Amino acid sequence: MELRAAREPASPDAGDFATLLRQHGLYPPQAAIAAPSPGSPFATPTQATTILAFKFAGGVLVAGDRRATAGNTVVYDRADKVLEIDTHSLMAIAGVPATAWEMARVLEHSFQFYRRSQLQEMSLEGKVRALSKLLRDNLGFVLQGVGVVVPIFAAFDSIAATARLYFYDAMGAQFEAADYAATGSGSPAVRSVLHYENTWGTKPLVKRRESEAIVLALRALDTAAETDTATGGVDRRGRVYPIIKIISKAGIRTLAEKDLARVFQREVS
Amino acid sequence: MIEEPYRWVEAIANRREYIEHQLSGGSPIAALSYRGGILLFTLGRERQKLFEIYDRIGMGGIGHPGDIERLRMAAIELTSTEGFARSAHDVSLRRLANYSLSPLLKAAFEQVYGPPYLARMLFAELGRNGAPNSFLRLDYDGAIQTNGGVFRRAIEEYGVISGTATSTTGMEEFLRKQTLPAASLDRALSIALDAWTVGHLTLSADPKDEPPTKEQIAGHRAEQLAGAAIEAAILEYSSPLPMTWRTLADAEIRVTLQ
Repeated sequence: MELRAAREPASPDAGDFATLLRQHGLYPPQAAIAAPSPGSPFATPTQATTILAFKFAGGVLVAGDRRATAGNTVVYDRADKVLEIDTHSLMAIAGVPATAWEMARVLEHSFQFYRRSQLQEMSLEGKVRALSKLLRDNLGFVLQGVGVVVPIFAAFDSIAATARLYFYDAMGAQFEAADYAATGSGSPAVRSVLHYENTWGTKPLVKRRESEAIVLALRALDTAAETDTATGGVDRRGRVYPIIKIISKAGIRTLAEKDLARVFQREVS
Repeated sequence: MIEEPYRWVEAIANRREYIEHQLSGGSPIAALSYRGGILLFTLGRERQKLFEIYDRIGMGGIGHPGDIERLRMAAIELTSTEGFARSAHDVSLRRLANYSLSPLLKAAFEQVYGPPYLARMLFAELGRNGAPNSFLRLDYDGAIQTNGGVFRRAIEEYGVISGTATSTTGMEEFLRKQTLPAASLDRALSIALDAWTVGHLTLSADPKDEPPTKEQIAGHRAEQLAGAAIEAAILEYSSPLPMTWRTLADAEIRVTLQ
């Protein structure tokens, strides 16, 4: 028996955690690209929806509703779709939670693994690209109709000292957003709201204070929930509020539910 | 030839002698508990010797850089895949050392046609929820020395590695007399530097020699500190994140030691 690093140190895969997982059979291999079978039991996979993110004066705000659905059934009303990947990056997901949460987990471990094994932090470009690669590897499942994930990635760029925001399509193309991004079934409504507010509102999104940004995020999500059944509104009886996280130079902050409840009562309902 | 039992024993003995000779110049590494967690400490001139393995596990190694690197990568890969497949709570130093690294080191050492690992390693693991910290020395032949806590052996709040057995014993005896866990990080740094100095002074000493005196330690400590870089890292209880490892910069701690 020989004790060896799973990959040669000089290989281009050095420090790549997903490759290591595949070698141990711990991460699904790339699915064959095939048409969906008509009688598939996954005709209506569980989905999760409406994520928005925009830049404001204090960094980037990322918000998501809490509902997971399968067809017209609500599966879960406390889903957390805004996931912390490391101290300064967030991934927010729309699509199939099974795949999305696994991707987030792989990503989280990838960044740690890279830092520990290569003795340096992965660059922001590298992190953005890592998610893109996971999405592209997932293409086979997307085409079979069982694993569509369309995420938003937000991070603080320590070199440029600015927060950055990226959105993706299901094939892994990455786009850097100038002001805002939205994804999920409720995103058309949210994008309209954000575009309107950014262009003709009291002031552009990037100039808004945190309190103003939170009100806007809650109102935009409420607008999406109005017409999209897959987006959960605020459940005041169950005290379920959207998840809102803020990235700034200091790191990631999650807004407390009781603060959201107060803002919601005063400014939204 | 080596198939004969006697020849095999002889080959192993030669191999042990060769490896011990290769390791004998290694700069000592000391790890000890303090109120805030664990401190890993060494002085060096060239390459990095202290490494983060997982959320609560750190490692120090002396020996050939290529072999340390292979073992370090193996440890990181084993803990990372386990942390991913199960959970970070399932990763433990005891299992990493006993079930994965030790058997493989032993196999490499005793297969006389293949190369052995020229490496001696010190692992430290921060205890979870008030459990004691673990310190573990893993040798090139797979031998493990723990910091006790089982079979009536009292827990030692330190772990060391050094180039020679005399130096290792000297450091352990020095640390046994200290009050540990140290009250503060500054105190821990000072104790660790003294322990390192004892180890460095006794590298080529005879086991029967008297341990170095206080004056000898103070003199050698100042002399060595002036000519080498401090390498130190801590595993902190108070870390807000699951990751507890933090490297201390030379500039940050040198003032407290001079």
